[in-house]
Amino acid sequence: MSEVVIVRNLQKSFGRVTALHDVSLSVREGEVVGFIGPNGAGKSTTIRILLGILRRDGGEARIFGKDVWKNSLDIHRRISYVPGDVALWGHLTGGEIIDLFMKLHGGGDKAKRDFLIRRFELDPGKKAKSYSKGNRQKVALIAALSVDSDLYILDEPTSGLDPLMEAVFQDEVRKLKEAGKSVLLSSHILSEVERLADRVVIIRQGRVVESGTLDELRHLTRTTIRLAVDGDVRGLAAVRGVHDFRATGNQATFSADQEHIHHILSEAVKLGIRNIEAVPPTLEDLFMRHYEN
Amino acid sequence: MRHNFARWDMLFVQFLKRDWKKILVWVLGVGLFSAGFVPAFEEIGKGQGFRGLYETMQNPAMIAIVGPTPADRAEDYTLGAMYAHEMLLFCGLLAMILSALHVIGHTRREEELGLMDLVRSFQVGRQANSLAVMAETVLINVLLAFVIGGILAGYGESSLSAEGSLLFGASIGMAGIMGAATALVMAQIMPASSAATGASLGIVGALFLVRAGTDISKESLSMLNPLGWTYLTYPFTENRWGPLALAALFTIAAVAAAFALEGRRDLGAGYLPERQGRVTARKTLLSVHGLFLRLNKGVILAWTIAFLVIGASYGSIYGDMQTFLESNDIMRQMFTASGVSIEASFTGIILLVTTSLVAILPVAVVNRLFSEEVRLRLSQLLATRVTRARLYWTNVLMAVLAGLAGTAAAAVGLGATAVAAMGDGASMDIGDFLAAGFNLFPSVLFFAALAALALGWSPRLGKAVYLYLAYSFALNYFDGLVDFPEWVSKTAVQSWIPRMPVEPSDGAVFATITVISAALMVLGYFGYRRRDMAEGA
Repeated sequence: MSEVVIVRNLQKSFGRVTALHDVSLSVREGEVVGFIGPNGAGKSTTIRILLGILRRDGGEARIFGKDVWKNSLDIHRRISYVPGDVALWGHLTGGEIIDLFMKLHGGGDKAKRDFLIRRFELDPGKKAKSYSKGNRQKVALIAALSVDSDLYILDEPTSGLDPLMEAVFQDEVRKLKEAGKSVLLSSHILSEVERLADRVVIIRQGRVVESGTLDELRHLTRTTIRLAVDGDVRGLAAVRGVHDFRATGNQATFSADQEHIHHILSEAVKLGIRNIEAVPPTLEDLFMRHYEN
Repeated sequence: MRHNFARWDMLFVQFLKRDWKKILVWVLGVGLFSAGFVPAFEEIGKGQGFRGLYETMQNPAMIAIVGPTPADRAEDYTLGAMYAHEMLLFCGLLAMILSALHVIGHTRREEELGLMDLVRSFQVGRQANSLAVMAETVLINVLLAFVIGGILAGYGESSLSAEGSLLFGASIGMAGIMGAATALVMAQIMPASSAATGASLGIVGALFLVRAGTDISKESLSMLNPLGWTYLTYPFTENRWGPLALAALFTIAAVAAAFALEGRRDLGAGYLPERQGRVTARKTLLSVHGLFLRLNKGVILAWTIAFLVIGASYGSIYGDMQTFLESNDIMRQMFTASGVSIEASFTGIILLVTTSLVAILPVAVVNRLFSEEVRLRLSQLLATRVTRARLYWTNVLMAVLAGLAGTAAAAVGLGATAVAAMGDGASMDIGDFLAAGFNLFPSVLFFAALAALALGWSPRLGKAVYLYLAYSFALNYFDGLVDFPEWVSKTAVQSWIPRMPVEPSDGAVFATITVISAALMVLGYFGYRRRDMAEGA
């Protein structure tokens, strides 16, 4: 699989403020990469460098093997972008703005546009100034999804969308993936990234602190186990790999290290398991762990 | 009924607290503007000045702009008569427009911003807000009336009587109150705040145009026009208070209508349905220049029309210049000595003034690109195949074209009316005016180039170009009155260009400034190509 986006040791300062210390990430062909971090972590700055809107101070950034600053035009032919803050011209209607973006990008699909307008339930005849944040977001999304691109860069694309529209969005991203397109999806809505992303990159204070597939990252965290046994449940508290143990009667809730899971369950079986629930680690857990320290 | 207005007094106090700074600037600003020009008019009127102006003001073109005067003879055209004649209509319009904008800002605009939902959730009557904002606007205009009346009476001029001063102020205040009432009605009918603003200003504009027609043809018809109830009070001459009573009745009726309408509408909605816009874009929009033309269309059109009108209003006085010259010995000697006709000399000065104004337009067009950038509207564009070169040059070129249109409009407006006013004995034709206007075009280009340079290298300085423009304008404007040293005069770019038609044109200067401007634009491009877009910071 070839790499569509390569970023290595990216650096960027605004005056005295360093926005990016060291950011490296990659997006392979046909892959959805989640790019997560809190506000101000450097997600949008990284994306704007990728788009050639900002000039990097150091490091390497390539899309389709081309330098993002020097060859931005060639690159832009094949990418779609949805900004995090969608600002539109108040006196133009949503329909006019979508058409304009499609035209300036090139290769738009009129039928797809109309289909997406219906799917996202946008009223394209209203002036943009009367749109809510969610509706502005829809305009940007429809424009980006109606053109044929190889890479989709989506910066917090669902902020302001209601859950129904979020589901529509996720469905559309899945379609892109099936069509072999690559997607860089920045977000702080973890469930969304979890559902869509093949790999995640976690950024914090201008540095990438973690990256890999969700499975790989889950090794770093613990599964939450809730069980009820016949014997004395308190016996499990001392087993290696068990943390945060809490027991009421013969029920217990604890978190378990991935590498000791076999041993822990063997011990539990000896006590006679009546009921067991295992909750896999969510990105939330991953995330919280990084922000705790 | 009481229930509908519950706690309006609390909202009223709240408005005053929120707005007191705005009110201060408004009352003092409009007050000084309306009453502060008396010394300037005194200056103009020295000697036979009033007589000359009286003749000038009989010109239908002038009546269309400022309205009629009740003075039948030049002797009756005192300082007070002239001041009311030339200032009252415009100051009334200003008060009207400000009040209308204020009312819509506090009604429909706040509904759209969602502020009103919160207010309504408390024990506040359905219509308390409208009553509060109306009361606030009435209070502001009453204050304004007294400030204007006070200043005018304070000059101690014999023709500026106390009664006239108060009537002058009250007429302006009443104009404001009528503007507020009109806006309150429109705020109920129109589907959105922008439409309500547009409709209110449209009504004021239409009334102005209608009165221009009736003032010229049959003055009594202007008394059927609500706008007529302000400036036809004739302060300092006839002191008619009657029209103000009509205006008060009009206001009461309009406010009552507005309250009745408001009682039956939903929050955030008007009676007229929201007009459905275009679902797909026209072909003309679908390009970078199409987009920017659309964005700048309003400002270019408005300014071009303004330049035409400004030019025309200056042009209309060409016919009376000889009369004026005959009445003023010093002036006559000046012109005889210099061997230049008064018309030619006037043309040179006026075109310098209008061209300085014309330069505002291209600077505004260039600066627009940066304000688009700061408002994040370019981010999605920049991710398409649109290059920075395309953005920059589209915009700069559009600015240059707008400058050309503005220069032409000012010169044609001035020239066409001047040639018509001078009649058969015209010493200049329209070509002379165009040549003199375009002779100054390099200075317009230069200001556009400065703005372009700022856009490329330090876009926040784009606004500073206006400062330099204002400085140059002031320097040129006062150059005739104050004798600046040569090097000071030369800091204004216009001073390098000879003043046609009095002086012959200078091709070398013309070419040099044009080339320098073009070079600055190219230099600006190099900056624009490599700098960060401001949104990232």
